[in-house]
Amino acid sequence: MLIDTDVHERVMYEELLPYLEQPWKRYIEDCHWIQEKHMPYTQPAVAGVDRADARIPDGRPAGTDLSFMQQQLLDANNHEKAVLTGALDPSPSSMHGWYEMATALATAYNNWQIDKWLDQDERLYGSIHIAAQEPWNAVKEIERIGSHPKMVQVLLPIDDKLWGDPYYHPIFEAAQRHNLAIGMHHNEPPVYYGQWPKYFIEWHTLIPTSHMNVVTNMIFNGVFDKFPDLKLIMIEGGFTYVPFLMNKMDQQYTDLRHEVPWVKRMPSDIVRENMLFTTQPLESMKKKELMQIIDQLGSDEIISFSTDYPHWDYDSPDAALPPNLDDDLKEKLYTENARNFYPKF
Amino acid sequence: MEQKVCHKEDLQPGEMMESTLGKHSIVVCRASDGHYYAFLNRCIHQGAPLSKGKLCGAPAPTDNVGEYNFEKDGDILRCPWHGREFDVKNEGRMLVNEKYKVKNFSVSVENNDVIVYN
Ligand code: FES
Repeated sequence: MLIDTDVHERVMYEELLPYLEQPWKRYIEDCHWIQEKHMPYTQPAVAGVDRADARIPDGRPAGTDLSFMQQQLLDANNHEKAVLTGALDPSPSSMHGWYEMATALATAYNNWQIDKWLDQDERLYGSIHIAAQEPWNAVKEIERIGSHPKMVQVLLPIDDKLWGDPYYHPIFEAAQRHNLAIGMHHNEPPVYYGQWPKYFIEWHTLIPTSHMNVVTNMIFNGVFDKFPDLKLIMIEGGFTYVPFLMNKMDQQYTDLRHEVPWVKRMPSDIVRENMLFTTQPLESMKKKELMQIIDQLGSDEIISFSTDYPHWDYDSPDAALPPNLDDDLKEKLYTENARNFYPKF
Repeated sequence: MEQKVCHKEDLQPGEMMESTLGKHSIVVCRASDGHYYAFLNRCIHQGAPLSKGKLCGAPAPTDNVGEYNFEKDGDILRCPWHGREFDVKNEGRMLVNEKYKVKNFSVSVENNDVIVYN
């Protein structure tokens, strides 16, 4: 069995139309609005950023068809649950303006997600999309949809904003109140100070640095002191950077506590008590190396397996982790850690 | 061992000075309450001479992000290197983690003399 903490469903814009009111609908229908795009690279893998075999046989892009996903992913790998994390297109919280449109898109997306995915397969759980630029509207959306039994987290992109700022705290308050975790996933372009490096390979190598920015920012802005029950899952940044970051933050906090007197626990304790990290994209490692990292984390309960289906850097549940792991560790990584992490599981 | 390290009026509240106790370098602090405290003049982190740091205050723990309530002025010994904070009135314990402390010595004031004991 597997609880997969990162599965990307994708919407075609025309599918969103029935869920949008005017005037928002006409901006897509008549004016061909699309999410801002910046990625300068020729697409890196055989089929762009998707697994080539995940394209729907009728030609639609990967991740757009539930029955194909059921067959290729959920049934094939014996999924107990999968958490949908969107395709960051649309990504309302990443828009650099027109937050009213972003808010409307978030609502439409959530309704579409419930109708077409969450209500159609009991294994699927969802992420609430919001337009976080205007926290008061984001909170309204969380209030509207937050008690849906299959919505398990609020999704925030990692790009050029640092969400730990108190300006955004009403979002965390609302999430905590509705037993929702916060899920963070990188968008474009989170590394190189918001610029693109020259090559895709540089960008993709450095994604964990953007996750480090956010973890550090959330802790030192006091989010987990203010909302001690809030859970944060860092999606698709891996976990091998975490021991370093825990040590670094602890040392900095020991030296520089006076600057952040609202932080009351050692940062590494906050990481262990409030956070979960998805495994993908796994670097290749031997069992011994994995066990060393777990030892440095001081916990085998803060990492959780994810496939990132249907993207090109998918991790196979059968082959990505080193062989011969102990059964109880496998159970934690494949199911238990995610089950214990999400307040709604 | 006991040693006279200074006269009472050599230090005002909030001031500190370096001295020696046998072969040890020590730092003698006069806290805001006028009492005297003495510590090994060697930071538990990487050994910096604490007497070169600052006897100052510290922002109190708070529940409000962005709020600074400066307190204990004259009672906090901050290391000159990495800035770790030791509370002189709490046996030299570190603010972030009271498990750790600088070695402290007993002090008494007799007549006009400040005397440190080991
Ligand atoms: S030597 Fe004192 S804080 Fe590092």
